[in-house]
Amino acid sequence: MSEPDRSRLPIRRETFAGVVGRTLDGSRPDWNLIEHPRPPDGAPNVLVVLIDDAGFGNPSTFGGPIRTPNYTRMAATGLRYNRFHVTALCSPTRAALLTGRNNHAVGFGSVGEFAGGFPGYSATLPRDCAPLPRILRDNGYSTAAFGKWHLTPDGQQGPAGPFDRWPNGWGFDYFYGILGGGSSQWDPCLAENQKIIGTPEEFYDEEHPYYFPDAMADRTIEWLHGVRAQDAHKPFFVYYSTGCSHAPHHVAKEWADRYKGQFDEGWERLREQTFARQKELGVIPADAELTPRDEAFPAWSDVPDNVKPFYARQMEVYAGYSENADHNVGRVIDAIDELDELDNTLILWIWGDNGASMEGSVTGSFNELTMQNGIPLTDEMQLQLAERYGGLDAWSTSLMAPHYGAAWAWAGNTPFKWGKQVGSHLGGTRNPLVAHWPARITDDGGLRTQFSHVIDVAPTILEAAGIPAPDTVDGIEQEPLHGTSFVASLSDGAAPEHRTQQYFETIGNRAMYKDGWWLAMKTERIPWLLTPEALAPYAPSAWDPDSGPVELYYLPDDFTQAKDLAAEHPEKVEELKELFWREAERYKVLPLLATLSTFFGMVPPLGGETSYEFRGDVQNVMPGMIPRIYNHSYTITADLVVPDGGAEGVIVAEADHLGGFTLYVKDGRLTHTYSMMGVFVFKQVADEDLPSGDVTVRMEFRADGAKPATGGDVALFIDDRQVGKGRMDHTVPVRFSGYSGMDIGRDNGGVVDRSYEREKPFAFTGTVRRVVFDIKPHLSGEDEQELHTAEQHGQAAHGLSA
Amino acid sequence: MPFDAEVTDVLIGGYMSSTAAHEDYEAVLNCGARLWGAVVVSRDLDGTLTVEHTDHMVEEGAGGLASVGFVVGLFAPPLLAATAIGAALGAVTGKALHQRTGSKIEEAAAETIPIGGAGLIVAYKHADAATVEPAVTRAVQKAVGEAEGHHVDALRGALADAQKKLTEGSG
Repeated sequence: MSEPDRSRLPIRRETFAGVVGRTLDGSRPDWNLIEHPRPPDGAPNVLVVLIDDAGFGNPSTFGGPIRTPNYTRMAATGLRYNRFHVTALCSPTRAALLTGRNNHAVGFGSVGEFAGGFPGYSATLPRDCAPLPRILRDNGYSTAAFGKWHLTPDGQQGPAGPFDRWPNGWGFDYFYGILGGGSSQWDPCLAENQKIIGTPEEFYDEEHPYYFPDAMADRTIEWLHGVRAQDAHKPFFVYYSTGCSHAPHHVAKEWADRYKGQFDEGWERLREQTFARQKELGVIPADAELTPRDEAFPAWSDVPDNVKPFYARQMEVYAGYSENADHNVGRVIDAIDELDELDNTLILWIWGDNGASMEGSVTGSFNELTMQNGIPLTDEMQLQLAERYGGLDAWSTSLMAPHYGAAWAWAGNTPFKWGKQVGSHLGGTRNPLVAHWPARITDDGGLRTQFSHVIDVAPTILEAAGIPAPDTVDGIEQEPLHGTSFVASLSDGAAPEHRTQQYFETIGNRAMYKDGWWLAMKTERIPWLLTPEALAPYAPSAWDPDSGPVELYYLPDDFTQAKDLAAEHPEKVEELKELFWREAERYKVLPLLATLSTFFGMVPPLGGETSYEFRGDVQNVMPGMIPRIYNHSYTITADLVVPDGGAEGVIVAEADHLGGFTLYVKDGRLTHTYSMMGVFVFKQVADEDLPSGDVTVRMEFRADGAKPATGGDVALFIDDRQVGKGRMDHTVPVRFSGYSGMDIGRDNGGVVDRSYEREKPFAFTGTVRRVVFDIKPHLSGEDEQELHTAEQHGQAAHGLSA
Repeated sequence: MPFDAEVTDVLIGGYMSSTAAHEDYEAVLNCGARLWGAVVVSRDLDGTLTVEHTDHMVEEGAGGLASVGFVVGLFAPPLLAATAIGAALGAVTGKALHQRTGSKIEEAAAETIPIGGAGLIVAYKHADAATVEPAVTRAVQKAVGEAEGHHVDALRGALADAQKKLTEGSG
């Protein structure tokens, strides 16, 4: 077989070189016809590992408190990169990683949930930017992705697709994981290839419960074995993207308990300890300075003694959760080693798609969605809610969906300032990278200091494989890759800087890097605050981005951004400002703050659907796709067949006890339970038994008014006869869950009403023919638009936290 | 000698967990002051009510103290409202003040204690306020009412005052 033209994908089939006669007599086959494309000889296997929501100062490999023995062993026989950069947000980093292009340029200026109306924020990959897995697959690699995806728009995660926005559409042969930005690790609503498969059956096995990180490693190893069973030589590309360490922080108690007491001295002390270890390890320069605490983070000494154990437990859980991720990546690496293929496997392991997440706000939360629904809770309230659901020992269980407090994230980003969402500073953008490839790396345990960016990963992999970036894919001319390969630095520590310039932008926080200089332009908004007051200065008519504060750093002399040189070098400030605007225009970053456009009145068109019908076998409707009952009057009507002797079970249920609703029958009584994010729980029970035969039941919610989180009255009906009533003082304004789905005829995964916990999933023992949601529009179109806007604000807030 | 001619204080605390309410309940019982009575009412996630109170309160006929109910306050999401409103939990309705038996306590509480929530009511001589009030450390909202007079009337007056303060958000 001759070397194919790889500049046009798919690779063209070779011309038939045999002979075709009228019969087999005289005909000669050409067996190349049934060949498939193969990569260049020697192309390595590739394993890209991406940890979620974690900081430079988290893993012990880079001086952090979290034990990461597998990361360290890869570094000890590979390389540490200490000037590697990401974007400051989940989806943007993933898009840049998988395309080799700047995130805005491929439509991911923001997260997958938030598909905006500007080119840089559409959350839709342009067809002239074919992604890395597609390129590798078309060049003969087996490709698979495991874990978190977060590149499919919120409303497109069902059986209607479109599937070009799902992992298979990006070029992965196989996908197992979650489509959204975060998930329970105990009862995720999973997708496999192009189907939502819901919560695994093992969730119901109390002795051996399902755990997503374990299953990810299991599935990866199983897939590798399957590929090798079929083809001993075809290289693989595995994208292993952990849900860890994103909230909810879920891990078995014994993992968290390994860190018992280790954080009792607080976050400032943790930063000091980490900083000292980083210097000992040499992963930061000897003259680096530890940056000071911003007043947005409380001093540990100001934390009341009675809540200090609450805060300390948050970090213990996060640490155990993260160590477990290292453990499971280690299992995958071991499996590759057992196949005797570790030597020619290029492993690029990035510890964090952005800096550690400060989205838990100052207090942290027993349920991360409380913040996204705008429910203000003090740390004492958070502690009491944690007690309600089992206490601090249950913090990492499925009873809660926890996120730690912002100051722990700041400590995780040691030695830098800030964290996730803050694209202007290294706390949000500089993360550890370890490269491992024994066949090419000889400087075992070496440190690399070249300034690198996540867009450089794809070009590096392509160069390592000897595969060119294609000029056309499916006949479409391709946008060149924006990244540049750092393959040279794998074998040469003195390799020249391959990247001398890079812009950064996340939610208006900007930076421009050039030749060692870094101009930081941070908005003054505290990242976790999205209140009207916090946003007002950024309204379109109010904000002049050039008039905001700037900081200037020279990174070769100032690894941590400790010395602001802006006042001394005004000409450099102006030069970099201008350069940023040019880069922003070139890469579709504009308009700035498009991520927040919904907060300023630019909302997507109001949907016209007010009635939604589900047949009885519909399950696992993703949370972004359920009927929009929020802030409205609505009814749920179900047509049932109840056998003689009665029936029980769930008719319809959304999400779980930490936010959701369920309409079910127990002890003969129709019951409706509504959880307002686990903070308030409302329940109404019919005062008479459900009859047998064909029965229609209905739940009516009559909202008090057109306002977010409106209260209202509930009435239950059987065959149009009222049989129960009650009151819900507060309802969920934005979103019940970030990951848990809606089911007809059962309550998959964690249940909404824990009174039927033992019977879960509590499938209905009669027949649910159909369930209909009718959303009652408010009388005023103005009210409708106002509510729609408010809801979009919340969705944007949710997206930013994902 | 219950309800002497002096000022009676009633403290009301609202909680999001029964654990926290019971911690404060135990704290006031052990604070050293003589209480007219204390009651803690909690409702678990299954909806089951638990009521615990000091024996002497019932013996002395202060049933009115034990029979109040709770409703949750208002959480207005700051994301969605023009004005951020701080959390207020535990505003008391006081609609069941005249009940005198344990079963009536439960009946009233069932209507008003939210699932997963809890409430604490403590009555004591005003002279002991400096001892009792610091013992209540975990209430997410609390208010103290006072009234002059004797017996149940004084108690009801103090209770009503505390309820009013809670409802007005001054607690």
